[in-house]
Amino acid sequence: MAMKIHLICAYVLVFASSDLLHAQGAGTRLSQSDTESARLSEDQIVPHVLNRAAFGAQPGQAEAVKQIGWREWIRQQLQPAKIDDTQVESYVVQRWPTLGMTLDQLLQQDYMKMEQVRKHLPPSVIYRAVHSDRQLQEVIVTFWRNHFSVDQNKDSVGFYTGDYEKMLRRYAFGQFDRLLLATAQHPAMLTFLDNDVSQKPLTDSQQRLIERYESRDRKPRSVRALARHRGLNENYARELMELHTLGVDNYYTQQDVIGLARALTGWTVGRGDGTPFGQAGDKFGFYFHQDVHDRNAKVVVGKRLSAGKGVEEGIRIVRQLAAHPGTARFISYKLCRYLVCDEPSPKLVRRVARVFRRTKGDLPKVYEAILLSDDFLQPQHYRVKFKTPFEFVVSALRATGAEITDYEAILHSLRLMGYDIYGCMDPTGYYDQAEAWLDPGVLVYRWDFAVRLGEGMIRGVQIPDTFMDPLNNLPPERLQAVLLDWLLPGGVSTQTHSLLGRELAKAYSERQAVGLVVGSPVFQQQ
Amino acid sequence: MATTRRQFMKSSSAMLGAAGLGTMPTQLLYGDSGSTPPPCTLVALYLRGGADPLNIIVPYREKRYYDVRPTIAIPPERRGDTAGVIRLSNDKRFGFHPALRELAVMYESGLVAPIVNVGSTHPTRSHFDAQDFMERAAPGIKTINEGWLNRYLGVTRTDGDSELRAISLQAVLPRSLRGQYPVLAVPEEGANHAMGVFGTLYGCDSEKEAISQMQEPPGSGGGSPSDPEAATRQKIVEAGAHSIRKLRRLNSIIHQGSSSVVYPKSRLASQLRGVARLIQANERLEIAAIDYNGWDHHAYQGGSMGTMAEMLRNLSGSIKAFFDDLGPRRDRVVVLAMTEFGRTVKENGTNGSDHGHGGFLLAIGGPVVGGKVYGKWTGLDRAVLNEGRDMPVYTDFRSAFAETLSGLFGFRADQNEFFPEFKSEAKSLGFIRQMGSA
Repeated sequence: MAMKIHLICAYVLVFASSDLLHAQGAGTRLSQSDTESARLSEDQIVPHVLNRAAFGAQPGQAEAVKQIGWREWIRQQLQPAKIDDTQVESYVVQRWPTLGMTLDQLLQQDYMKMEQVRKHLPPSVIYRAVHSDRQLQEVIVTFWRNHFSVDQNKDSVGFYTGDYEKMLRRYAFGQFDRLLLATAQHPAMLTFLDNDVSQKPLTDSQQRLIERYESRDRKPRSVRALARHRGLNENYARELMELHTLGVDNYYTQQDVIGLARALTGWTVGRGDGTPFGQAGDKFGFYFHQDVHDRNAKVVVGKRLSAGKGVEEGIRIVRQLAAHPGTARFISYKLCRYLVCDEPSPKLVRRVARVFRRTKGDLPKVYEAILLSDDFLQPQHYRVKFKTPFEFVVSALRATGAEITDYEAILHSLRLMGYDIYGCMDPTGYYDQAEAWLDPGVLVYRWDFAVRLGEGMIRGVQIPDTFMDPLNNLPPERLQAVLLDWLLPGGVSTQTHSLLGRELAKAYSERQAVGLVVGSPVFQQQ
Repeated sequence: MATTRRQFMKSSSAMLGAAGLGTMPTQLLYGDSGSTPPPCTLVALYLRGGADPLNIIVPYREKRYYDVRPTIAIPPERRGDTAGVIRLSNDKRFGFHPALRELAVMYESGLVAPIVNVGSTHPTRSHFDAQDFMERAAPGIKTINEGWLNRYLGVTRTDGDSELRAISLQAVLPRSLRGQYPVLAVPEEGANHAMGVFGTLYGCDSEKEAISQMQEPPGSGGGSPSDPEAATRQKIVEAGAHSIRKLRRLNSIIHQGSSSVVYPKSRLASQLRGVARLIQANERLEIAAIDYNGWDHHAYQGGSMGTMAEMLRNLSGSIKAFFDDLGPRRDRVVVLAMTEFGRTVKENGTNGSDHGHGGFLLAIGGPVVGGKVYGKWTGLDRAVLNEGRDMPVYTDFRSAFAETLSGLFGFRADQNEFFPEFKSEAKSLGFIRQMGSA
């Protein structure tokens, strides 16, 4: 096993290594005693911010952010609604029409049309991540998409995911409890984690009745109906606490899982008037099915719930879970890990969790607490994260200003790298530790992607002439300087510089040179 | 410390528990003495989609089989006709699908063991859940995140493990092989080219000076880089170098040597040929996993001929070629063909069959006690079917998995919660010989 990142985070910086001298000239490093308050050099801050609060820089973007100032840029990004994104939005619904439909509109289409959502959604996710000016929103929605992971390949989940993505976007910059409740009541989540089929458990006497008739061929109708009863399904209740709020084995027991599952019985998918799929009727979506709801009193995470409160009871528990201090800690920890480093300092996590609690889960305030913290800018967090396949692919497409007309080949490459958008089978989502992605077999596909991106051999993807033309016929040293400046703003170490230089000098074309930089070790870092 | 990766915690504690059990047979296999036999090899072949057991191991004596499958049933054997079932010499209940001619011959030589009414303790009819549960060998338990074969590799890991102890000769690892233990999946064509381009940047192919540049200069603390950025990069470089080395070796083995055996032209056949090369190259290959997709025959599945028949013909021909190619090495190799569930006993309205429950397994190879159909059989009467429509499950697939690991590797998978919540049957099936001390 490779060494854990946190060991490295804990190292006190010693600057004997030549690797620390930056080829791009900038970067006065601080002495050992200053590490607590040490900050990235001015030249590194903007690339760092763009690597974490965006999917890397587009050509020229680092310069533009420097102009307005990185703090101001972050503040703008924290209010995505104020950034004009109409072009991107209208492209999405025009190119992938099922994504513009409400669930009701979609469910009135024929089956083939409904099936299209599965084809439409993943490319739109890439398109937005690459092109949207609301970059922080894309980064954050990617976090929640993974935190509240659903797999579009399970049963009918794929019909609902287009709407699910819209929901995530609507709530990702609001209050956490509203986001949580929206996921809890969304058909995609209800179906993916089986809450749609969860029903109040049979009573003991009903159970006995079934057993009495078990070996008999002829059973009364009422007994047959009972035997068909599906009973309680704990799947969602468990994940709601374990994955979505409190974290594994924190503050809850198996009894709480059962209590919560019982409180959520009857939370299912459909229409209030019971009309089936494919017909007009009441609004389709979350539906509380009274008859299968367990009305008895229950205790969940120390709170006693009185009997017979119906759907309100579940809503109250979801809100309570959102407000639980354990949730503030767990969500803050995961966000810090995502935005700062694999093993964020407990101090930072505590500080962010305090903001979470004080603001009652006001998410932009939480993001701000991380991105504008001193921790975020400490040099030991610079390029210490190994990009996920999604981050790698999107940042490569952004850095080269690639023009994309077709997404299938990109999605195929991503799947080979182990990342299937809306296709993670585990409710855990993909690994949120960067290092977990460092799987040897998978790097090969990154190289393949890089080479083919440079050569223009990925179907539907072209690096534009405006990027390539200025590279033509440059002497090797000049070529390297320009490429590094464009693709790796912030500079590289002397060691990387000389190794890359040697390889670039051997490259038989400018296109191969682009591929070499994109596939190089340093481009896998952020 | 709030570790968020619950599966990691849970699975690693399960592994720690299981690691306590005797790994002696592994030592036996890998002892220093030059005369020890090569390890056994398990080829886990997954027929994805829910392959229809009743048209593979055909219960041609059951009248109901013909009643409820008017268009897709395999007719009984008729003289001078190759469309009928291939009868088994010692079992009057079943015959093989006529496309399985080669496997029927191997059955008669004792190399094939079909197991009927095998499946999951979980009732799901979703491909998604059923495959998932089966490949983790943890029905209904979603907290186990690693494949059962990967868990086996992890628990029995030693420092001397072959780099090619487990492989998958396809681009994406089957779920059964995913997990903490590093298993190599082989990239598609083209990726090989990319590997050549990046050899030097990832620390292979370099002249001496380049290599020395990859390492940190002296004085930076025991060889471990003190700069986090450089440390991260070094790990990336190491991972890259590792995969280049391994893949080059693999490629050279797979493409070297030739054999006179003619394989069918199919993806399955070419994967099996690669596995045969690795076994013959003495790479101490223990586990190979192959996916064979497309068994979800809801419509026009055909009977003696048609879509499914062609797939069975490929299956049979490829496996036959594989064992021919292996020669004497077949004595230590087992192909275990599995599927997530069986299908409805009745055919549906579109000349196919729908998702069912009880399925089947086919174990093929030298260590198999074949020539005999395993598993409890109670016929096709409605009363014995699962929910009146599907084949019942009498054998938990984990029993078959456990016996396979025990027979081939001397690994006691029935102990120490290796399969969580699994209770092994009092009496084993006995379809695999104990090979540990061969």
